[in-house]
Amino acid sequence: MEKVIMGNHAVSYGVQLARAQVIAAYPITPQTQIVEILSEFCADGRLDAKFIKVESEHSVMAAVVGASMAGARAFTATSSHGLGLMHEVLHWAAGGRLPIVMANVNRAMGPGWNVWTEQTDSLAQRDTGWMQFYCETNQEALDTVIQGFKIAEAVLLPVMIILDAFVLSHTMEPVDIPDQAVVDGFLPPYEPEFKLDPGDPHAFYGLVTPEHYMELRYKMHQAMRDAVQATQRIGAQFGDVFGRGYDVVEKYRIEDADIVLVTSGSITSTARVVVDTWRANGHKVGLLKMRLFRPFPFEAVREALVGTPKVAVIDRNISQGHGGIFAAEVKSALYGASQQPVLFPFIIGLGGRDVTPESIHSILNHTQSHDMPAEDSIWMEVKK
Amino acid sequence: MSYDVPDQELMTPGHVACPGCGAPMAVRYALKALGEDTVLIVVASCWSIIAGPFPYSAVKVPLLHSLFATGGSVASGVKAGLEARGLTDTTVMTLAGDGGTFDIGIQALSAAVERNEDFIYVCYDNEAYMNTGIQRSSATPWGAWTTTTPVTHPKSQPKKDMVAIMAAHRIPYTATATVAYPEDLMRKVKKAKEIRGSKFLHVLSPCPSGWKSEPGQAVYLSRLAVETCVFPLYEVEHGEEYRITVWPRQKEPAEKYLRLQGRFAHLEPQDIRRIQDNVDREWDKLVAKARASGQVVPE
Amino acid sequence: MSYEIVFKTEADMPLLPMSLGSTLYNKTGSWRYVRPIYRNKTSPCNHACPAGEDIVTYLAMVTKGQYEEARQTILQENPFPGVCGRVCAHPCESECNRAQLGGAIAIHSMERFLADLPAPRTLPRLEVRDVPDARVAVIGSGPAGLSCAYQLARSGYKVTVFEALPAVGGMLRVGIPSYRLPRDVLDAEIEAIVSLGIEIRTGMRFGEDLGFEDLDDYHAVFLAVGQHRGLRLNVPGEDASGVAPGVEFLQRVNLGQETTVGPTVAVIGGGNTAMDAARSALRLGASDVAILYRRSRHEMPAIPEEVEETDQEGIRLEFLTAPVEVLAENGRVSGLRCVRMRLGAPDESGRRRPEVIPGSDYTVDVDMVIPALGQAAELSFLGDRAQVERGRIAINEAGAISRSPSGADRWPQGVFAGGDAATGFGTVAHAIGSGKRAALAIDRYLRGQALEGFPPLTAHLRVAPRDVDPTVVRFEDINLAYFTEEPRTVQPQRPAAERVKGFGEVNLGYTEGDALKEAERCFSCGVCNQCDTCWLFCPDICIRRLDSVPPSLEPGAQAYQVDYDYCKGCGVCAEECPREAIVMEEELKWRK
Repeated sequence: MEKVIMGNHAVSYGVQLARAQVIAAYPITPQTQIVEILSEFCADGRLDAKFIKVESEHSVMAAVVGASMAGARAFTATSSHGLGLMHEVLHWAAGGRLPIVMANVNRAMGPGWNVWTEQTDSLAQRDTGWMQFYCETNQEALDTVIQGFKIAEAVLLPVMIILDAFVLSHTMEPVDIPDQAVVDGFLPPYEPEFKLDPGDPHAFYGLVTPEHYMELRYKMHQAMRDAVQATQRIGAQFGDVFGRGYDVVEKYRIEDADIVLVTSGSITSTARVVVDTWRANGHKVGLLKMRLFRPFPFEAVREALVGTPKVAVIDRNISQGHGGIFAAEVKSALYGASQQPVLFPFIIGLGGRDVTPESIHSILNHTQSHDMPAEDSIWMEVKK
Repeated sequence: MSYDVPDQELMTPGHVACPGCGAPMAVRYALKALGEDTVLIVVASCWSIIAGPFPYSAVKVPLLHSLFATGGSVASGVKAGLEARGLTDTTVMTLAGDGGTFDIGIQALSAAVERNEDFIYVCYDNEAYMNTGIQRSSATPWGAWTTTTPVTHPKSQPKKDMVAIMAAHRIPYTATATVAYPEDLMRKVKKAKEIRGSKFLHVLSPCPSGWKSEPGQAVYLSRLAVETCVFPLYEVEHGEEYRITVWPRQKEPAEKYLRLQGRFAHLEPQDIRRIQDNVDREWDKLVAKARASGQVVPE
Repeated sequence: MSYEIVFKTEADMPLLPMSLGSTLYNKTGSWRYVRPIYRNKTSPCNHACPAGEDIVTYLAMVTKGQYEEARQTILQENPFPGVCGRVCAHPCESECNRAQLGGAIAIHSMERFLADLPAPRTLPRLEVRDVPDARVAVIGSGPAGLSCAYQLARSGYKVTVFEALPAVGGMLRVGIPSYRLPRDVLDAEIEAIVSLGIEIRTGMRFGEDLGFEDLDDYHAVFLAVGQHRGLRLNVPGEDASGVAPGVEFLQRVNLGQETTVGPTVAVIGGGNTAMDAARSALRLGASDVAILYRRSRHEMPAIPEEVEETDQEGIRLEFLTAPVEVLAENGRVSGLRCVRMRLGAPDESGRRRPEVIPGSDYTVDVDMVIPALGQAAELSFLGDRAQVERGRIAINEAGAISRSPSGADRWPQGVFAGGDAATGFGTVAHAIGSGKRAALAIDRYLRGQALEGFPPLTAHLRVAPRDVDPTVVRFEDINLAYFTEEPRTVQPQRPAAERVKGFGEVNLGYTEGDALKEAERCFSCGVCNQCDTCWLFCPDICIRRLDSVPPSLEPGAQAYQVDYDYCKGCGVCAEECPREAIVMEEELKWRK
């Protein structure tokens, strides 16, 4: 069934279809609609889940950690400062190997207050041990929620599904809402191996001494590496069932390209249009969409980019004192390759400033006209 | 003499509480009262250590170690998760220290009990951050030494009245208890188990290391706290029905309790008088509330 | 058993930090530098009992309903629980720590309750031991003689008891009136003792019907002839008709001989004999009985309950008065001339010495005077063959006679003495303890063992000693948090007006409910009674309950075990123990 819905509600429908059992949430713009409608679903019985209306995002994450540890499929959504407030609990969820799914609507961090889109909030949590998916469309958001639970429960790692504030969250798009029965076939009920069970009592997350801590983190890292394949396998399986397959990255017209744009989130759609325009004009340009950011898909990135003369990475985020975070990560993936591309790191659209086709044209022009980047980070459209 | 205490032990020896610590005693009694169908949540506190390191546990019930501020929130999630799995009768009990309850965890606790989540919150109160080495908390009593309230500037604020705060939430059940009165403690835990909704138990738990007292006198101090009325044992139902559960046989002077603890060694006679005045005032207020609730007050 | 979990590689480990075993792997006992030890100490009642009864143990047994075990515990030490439960002066109660919190435990009532239980009066024989084939002669069938005979006979010795009077029992029979000690109670206990195979020969007064020369067939002799001669008033006129010494008066009454009492009787003295004589006179028809005592009530040596009962029965107690002359008309008593006394400085007994108030003479009309100032032993049979000190046979700690310097060569080995004739303590319980001491000594003597190491005569001895610390527990040692003030349970009595009509028993004894209630009051000073307090409060859950063992029948048996693998030595158990039965000792002492 196709519906024209906003990105936030696409997430909500995904959660409903995934039959989440416990949802905890705290309001924050621009996420609130996700849980508002879920609250309705829970109240009217469309979703058989307990909705816990806690008093902060710290408690949100603690509540879903508790629910997940008790063996329930748990979901929440947040944004920006809400995500920041969760920070220590994100570690607890990941180190606790809990298959929680959370939607994060990318929003800039203050001060000053800014409710518009930017990726720094989620990227600042990249070391917590959560998987991160950046969505391009409302359809992808819905589909990734369903896949997210399946992947999380397969590798026992929490999954963060990220969508841009307003550009996706509040923008209506036609979305195919799959049949519940089909989703149920794809995503069976959660059967936890590790849980709080009075019939088989264990203590979880107690003191771990240096004798054991490193091995536990090693095993978590192994799980993260395995999660790349799991994402590909489950994405392909999703395609078989629903007709929309997913990979960790998406390559768009990169064969023989002289310049490949690297994008994430909704900027991808804008860039895709510009790539088509440039191709129509005879320029060999292509696009690499980063869908999975954690674990970082090293092999897929290398496979796509090695041999390309120039790569332009578009970052709607900033690691102060370093630069664009995607750029740094892509660069690290290419280090030591025999035919390393020249990498152009662009910072653009912070705090929700629009990234237009013209912005992408400028980026491509800059890349085409320079042999090497003029600066460590190329800040676009800054009023100087 | 015999005690109405179940034989079943849901705690094991080998836990790493300091000698004479009240915290393992409180949990042992609580678990005896609750039985096996219980999930225990321990937020950052001495009990994070007491329960034993990975891969061991000192309790025979499921235990979730959680973050400092999450006593109320994680329990809400656990209860919801258990119910989702059909385990509707399992008791969820959060265990937190005074720091985790009076200070860092009060927001999540207040919210959880305001929602009337179905769980028992047990605060074992040793009146300072003991696990980090005796720093003052808002549960530290007036006049006490801690490493952050040195004897030249001992704590100059009264202990926060946590029971009053909980009672103000109008939750079904709030009570105080202490380890010298295991039967009273267990009766309260059992009562709490039978009530659906939020239950708060404030347990005074002697800490020989932090109170600078003799380990062997832990239970004695706990009893003196009650007999001096420094820490009366009572319960509050729905925020308004007060009932004193253990009347001191003979109200002892607070000094008897204070003088056995090095943390009060610096107090001058006028300080002790001030404490005594405060104890008397608070006790009179409590007795008045009990009387107003219809309890017959002994002579 | 090792509880340790070892991961060789990360592959052995679970995905997440979770428990796979208990903290039992962690032997926290290594933290300890002091350790708790269960060590039973001595209760003040046990310490005070001249008969060496294990009172604290049998009270604990009563709380568990183990009545027969409790009775057997007494019988190990004393074959006369029915007697002692009625007439003992119970120094145990004077020392009882409970006295300071609601009144001493009514131990005598407990003992009587156990003795009166409707169960066969079988006395416990000792386990068959390889005793020498020896015969022992016991002179006197009072409590000392029968106690000695009982302990020897149950060990396997052949015992013959010689008694001067026609009836067995000594002072128990001829000194104590039946309203205090019914004859069927006494008879039953004596019968049980005799049935162990003891030969009884009555009407054999030593020194007249029998002499040392007749005892050659015996390998040891125990002299327990008692004190049956009343002391004189030493005032003019006391040989008048109508003056009857208390012991002789009571002997006649108790042997059922014809006795007449005048309507007005004055008894002189403040001891139990005075009370017994006065109350017997009342029961024989005297209309006006008075007891004259030269000191005040506080100094009276009689058992306080006896004084109380005497008072209740309408006998006048006149204090601070003493006769100076017996007045007679026609050789018969007609009155007493007395003087008033006052109390001066304390004398050597610690009591304030009475002094005559000059010019305070007064006269009272009486028909009968019964002096009851104390008794003496008739020891003329000894000749110069033993040392007599202050009218009593001198003995050493083993009860063996101290030989007279002049008679040393002629005095045979193996002669022991005890009871009132030797010790002068003057109570039934002391006599029983004294007889037991002699039996233990005679056993050693007959085995050729040295008679050394006996405690002083003021201390008691046990046939069944328990492994306890001799430290006597004080009231300050009791953890009062565990006890509330509860009144002593007093056994009912028949009303005074009714009981003075005859010699029926005054006290009616405990019901089972009374006994249980009273036993529950016991602090069990220094003796573990399995109250579970240590188990309950151990912060380390390392005190285990052992299978319940009756405490006295298994000497050294204990109810709990500390698991020293885990005990951190905090001391809460020792501090909380309500009864001081746990001590903390330095760990170094226990390290090999």
